[in-house]
Amino acid sequence: MTEDGRLPLGLEPDDLDGHTIEELTDYLDAGRTPADASIDASPGCALALDAMERLRALTPALMASDEAAEPAPEPGWIQSILSGIAMDARSGRRIPLADPDDGSDLAITEGAVRGLIRAAENVFPGILIGRCRLDGDVTVRGAEIGVEVDVSVPFGEPIVQLAERLRSEIAVRLARHTRLAVTGIDITVHDISTWTEDKR
Amino acid sequence: MTDEEPGSRLAGADDRIVAGRAIDGDIAAFEVLVRRYTPMMRAYVRRVLGASADVDDVLQEAFVIAWQRLSELEDPAAVKSWLMRIVSRKAMDRVRSRRPQVDIDGIEPPASPDTTPARAAETRAGVEALNAALAELPEAQRQSWVLREIGGLTYEEMAAELAMPVTTVRGLLARARKHIMVRMEEWR
Repeated sequence: MTEDGRLPLGLEPDDLDGHTIEELTDYLDAGRTPADASIDASPGCALALDAMERLRALTPALMASDEAAEPAPEPGWIQSILSGIAMDARSGRRIPLADPDDGSDLAITEGAVRGLIRAAENVFPGILIGRCRLDGDVTVRGAEIGVEVDVSVPFGEPIVQLAERLRSEIAVRLARHTRLAVTGIDITVHDISTWTEDKR
Repeated sequence: MTDEEPGSRLAGADDRIVAGRAIDGDIAAFEVLVRRYTPMMRAYVRRVLGASADVDDVLQEAFVIAWQRLSELEDPAAVKSWLMRIVSRKAMDRVRSRRPQVDIDGIEPPASPDTTPARAAETRAGVEALNAALAELPEAQRQSWVLREIGGLTYEEMAAELAMPVTTVRGLLARARKHIMVRMEEWR
């Protein structure tokens, strides 16, 4: 429908000093770098690039509007998803608990150890523990293990002291419930931002 | 579901923390992700599929896959775009499986989001114009635009999902963009 009528905004190569919409899209995607003198000097391209940028700016608003129109997911629907997934999918490695020479075969899963580490957050209001990694061969008794923990700390709390207390709490829990030879506990506090229910 | 967390604190935590726990197998954290991103993913899938009863099935499949593959998610803070890629794939599976039975011109346009809250009148009018322009597009053009501009897929990912060469994908996208820009210009 655009081919016959001459619209003020032209999007064919004739209107764009020989350039195409594909080229202009790539140029915009690349942040208009490196600068292309032939595009920058073309009034037709400038019009088209403006139109593209206006459209790009509007796309998040379209999505926000779509999203706002969606009802909150129903509890029953969420439960049907959760009941459909394998609970033991992420239990991880098997970590021996007993001495090798006492003949028993006691073990704990890596997932359970992570749960143990996460539970340390309950001692510190506002702290949340994210990902935990156990570096080293946890399946071998006595192997040296480094622990890495991702943490978020409430705004305004003294991060260094809190991290130190959290580290001790985790160390105590690991010593009480596992036989891991923990060589260190690295605590990473990335940022303290929280997720908020949209700018609706 | 887990014994240590009332869940409400987690619901306010950022993606890095929540997805990090979900990677570690914390179902309560995964539930927070499901709650957090279902409306966005539903809206997106509706844009890809058009009005369709399949939307919730697509989401369900996507979340099951997401749970299974969470250990492949390197950066938990990037969980949102990761989920968008998974749900894109699931939505396009649906498109491919129903393609033969579908009358491409007869697809209902997506429901117009008329519950938009108060915002700048111009943006609202712009969103309505964009919505209308999208609804006029042939299915393949609309899908390519939505996968790229909303789903954030690369041209290569789109080519794989649409089972087309990259050049064809770029051609579809260019046609979609031209149509939308012309219509938006008329509206202005």
